[in-house]
Amino acid sequence: MSERLLEVEDLSVEFATEGGVIRAVEEVSFGIDRGATLGIVGESGCGKSVTSLALMGLLPRPAGRVVGGSVRFDGAELIGLDESRLRKLRGSEISMVFQEPLTALNPVYTIGRQIAEVARRHLGLSRSRARERAIEMLARVGIPLPDRRIDEYPHELSGGMRQRAMIAMALVCRPKLLIADEPTTALDVTTQAQVLEQIVTLQREFGTAVILITHDLGVVAETCRDALVMYCGEIVERAATEHLFNTPRHRYTQRLLEAMPRIRSRPLTSLPVIPGSVPEPDRLPSGCRFAPRCAHSGSRCELERPRLQRLEDSDVACFYPANVEADGAAT
Amino acid sequence: MEYLVFVIRKLAGGIPLVLGVTLISFTLMVYFGPDQTYELLSKNPTAEEIAQVRSELGYDQPFWIRYSDYLVDLVTLDFGYSNATGERVAGILARTVPISMALLAPGFVLGNVLGIALGLLAAWHRGGWVDKAIMGFAVVGMSISFLVVIIAFQVLFGVVLDWFPVRGWNVHDLSSYLYYVTVPTLASVFVALGYNTRFFRAVLVEEMTRDHVRTARAFGAAPAVILWRGVLMNAMIPIITRIMFSIPLIVISGSLLIETYFGIPGVGKVTFDAITSGDQPVLKAVVGLTAIGFVLILITNDILYKWVDPRISLTRESAA
Amino acid sequence: MSLPEIDLGAGADARLEPADRLRRRSPWSRAAGRFSTDRAAVTGLVVVTVFFVVALGVWLGWWGGNWAETGGGQWQSPSAENWLGTTILGQDIFARAVYSTRTAFEIGLVVAISSTLLGGLFGAISGYFAHSPVDAAILWLKGVLDSIPFYLFVAAVAFALDGQPFAMHIAMIATFWTTTARLVRGEVIKLKRLEFVEAARSVGLATPRIIARHIVPNTFHILLVQATIVFVAAIKSEVILSFLGLGVQDGVSWGLMIAESTTEVIAGRYWNFIAASSFMFVLVMGFNLFADGLQDALDPKRAGR
Repeated sequence: MSERLLEVEDLSVEFATEGGVIRAVEEVSFGIDRGATLGIVGESGCGKSVTSLALMGLLPRPAGRVVGGSVRFDGAELIGLDESRLRKLRGSEISMVFQEPLTALNPVYTIGRQIAEVARRHLGLSRSRARERAIEMLARVGIPLPDRRIDEYPHELSGGMRQRAMIAMALVCRPKLLIADEPTTALDVTTQAQVLEQIVTLQREFGTAVILITHDLGVVAETCRDALVMYCGEIVERAATEHLFNTPRHRYTQRLLEAMPRIRSRPLTSLPVIPGSVPEPDRLPSGCRFAPRCAHSGSRCELERPRLQRLEDSDVACFYPANVEADGAAT
Repeated sequence: MEYLVFVIRKLAGGIPLVLGVTLISFTLMVYFGPDQTYELLSKNPTAEEIAQVRSELGYDQPFWIRYSDYLVDLVTLDFGYSNATGERVAGILARTVPISMALLAPGFVLGNVLGIALGLLAAWHRGGWVDKAIMGFAVVGMSISFLVVIIAFQVLFGVVLDWFPVRGWNVHDLSSYLYYVTVPTLASVFVALGYNTRFFRAVLVEEMTRDHVRTARAFGAAPAVILWRGVLMNAMIPIITRIMFSIPLIVISGSLLIETYFGIPGVGKVTFDAITSGDQPVLKAVVGLTAIGFVLILITNDILYKWVDPRISLTRESAA
Repeated sequence: MSLPEIDLGAGADARLEPADRLRRRSPWSRAAGRFSTDRAAVTGLVVVTVFFVVALGVWLGWWGGNWAETGGGQWQSPSAENWLGTTILGQDIFARAVYSTRTAFEIGLVVAISSTLLGGLFGAISGYFAHSPVDAAILWLKGVLDSIPFYLFVAAVAFALDGQPFAMHIAMIATFWTTTARLVRGEVIKLKRLEFVEAARSVGLATPRIIARHIVPNTFHILLVQATIVFVAAIKSEVILSFLGLGVQDGVSWGLMIAESTTEVIAGRYWNFIAASSFMFVLVMGFNLFADGLQDALDPKRAGR
């Protein structure tokens, strides 16, 4: 049994829209080991959610399609796998947690029913055993009085508890991989911290690999061993989180880190922002997609698309990456 | 227990409605309605005879007295006698209402069941040719007047094909029932199906695009499970509302036209005759019963809501 | 982990996209764009326009004025003079069908516009003051009108107004506004809870202004769609009402033509029936396609795209 749980290679996804076909994800490659944690960071619209949906074969039909690449999960190829086999994996081997738990849960069934149903479906448990298991999971995710809560409806729980219930549902079958798509974005900061902690704890207890998708670098810093940064459907940098934060290579990553609000030694005169705005998906620049907004781009950047290349401890797709050894000055 | 309180509350709340309906109907039909004084008199009435008849008919009473008399009659189910035939109105109703129900029930049930089934089919394959075909038929069905359908069916089945009867209602057993009810049922299903299918399809598509359906898929639910628990159960409220509120429409308006045209002695035909001849006792009875029936439907509707959607509270109407 | 301080390089701004080059399209123009690619919808619009021109022409006296002339000979089959034959009184069926187009539009437009305005108004008020006595009163009125069977109501109104030609219109308007009001009420209740209303209130805007300027415009798509639906409903209802003798009293309409034909078809005289039902079918179908296209354009999710 190899260490590598998931290997994504050159995955590309297209969407058919009113204005034509757009490429939401462009030849994305990454992987995750068993029990490891990976954060996918990027702004809204960069393709991080689409990537995760594509992994599970959940792209909205008929608009979205995978048009290239492979996704190997535990040795088996997922792209092109027929729906009935994929269904067996979803919820049992790979689970997903979504951003807005109120709408993500079925409003007319109790949370107990919904969790138990997943357990019955994939583990073949009887009704009573499944219910017990659901109560157990609710306790594991930190919901007090789980035997009472289990018969409540989603709208009767608070946002944080709903999200915990979703996590319970996702982990009830002890999947090998959990994909959490912005799990805490809709929650307030205190609850955010609690839910994240819960995810990390359970991840360690169950040995589940976790892909955490977020726009918040702080979340990644706290929870993920590795991270990758996406921009306009491409991966621009891939590294262990430590290296990403200490020695960011891609100019976009640099900017993102700069823009993170934090306490500084000297007060700022203006807030650091990344100039310009994210290009529309149907009007992407040729060459490097970040080049129009980059202070360090050269002529090569407009003509050629940079590929991910190893640079010491990181993979970066940039022709003029940051080389921060030369005493803090960017070349 | 909670349900009982709820029902009583709703019934009580329905009283203003019944009052409202009866008031408006009474005002329009009875008060402003045709003056039947002269119908009951002979050729050259004397002033006394006129006065006598008017007093008999209650025309000399003030409005509110006549109205409250009417309400009393209604509550005690004393509908008096038909002006046209002299028969007891209650008897007329007892005779004709079951016929109308028997006539309309198959069409109603079939129209809705088929509508939901087709709507589901279309919604599931939305954007595909199945969807387009179903919707195409639906639009055509919606664009043809009920009357046109009835006339066409009459010609088709009665004259050209001669398979089914198109007049009368000589029903004494199951086979004769099926025999006579087929053409009216076909006609009403034909007309209703277009509207129903479109409505149900819209509701179902709306539910299909909800987040929790995606969640269900993400946890490996099979399409059948998703359709049932994710889509249909959530779509129940609008579906139930629609079905319940279509009852008054079907029962009165549908029966009116079919019965009049096919010569079936149901409550619709009787009502129609009453309108054209100004037969007030019959009209009063029909309107009053319709109002009460509507209130009952509203209550049933609310109860069904609660049964189906746990977010609705029985004890208070919450705005959140 | 400490984060490096980065110096903003010079020259970054030169290659940026100026904001005004970004495409901006309002929801209405996007909807118009979607509508124009929908062939069925455009066909519907064309059909409706053609019929409208016909109706306009009748109204202006260009054609159809001879619908009452009885010179043609009884029950003639279609010929060069009478394109669709003649009626029992020798009237030209084609002319009658054409004239009826005007009748149909008249009824349709009057009822659709009035009931939509009325429904929108009551719905907005009812929704904004949801669960208050005002709302309860309007809901009561709606319930009452909804529970009176349509044809009985029309009959009653016809009697009460003693043969006034607009009795039918009034009865229709009084019945059809309720659906619009219910839909608008639902939408307003939803809108009310949205943050922008809270924002408007917190800035101190007065209630009528909030309703008029912020909430009602967001219901326009409902009003537009409802108007088209009511138009169709009015035309179709007229057919049945005329059959029952409660509809158009003077002039001619498709309903009257069909009503006339009910006895004729058994005898094999189909032309009256075919003419009226065909004309009506084409217009209603066209309108339905148009209405569909409208709804799809305004709310693409509806078509499941």
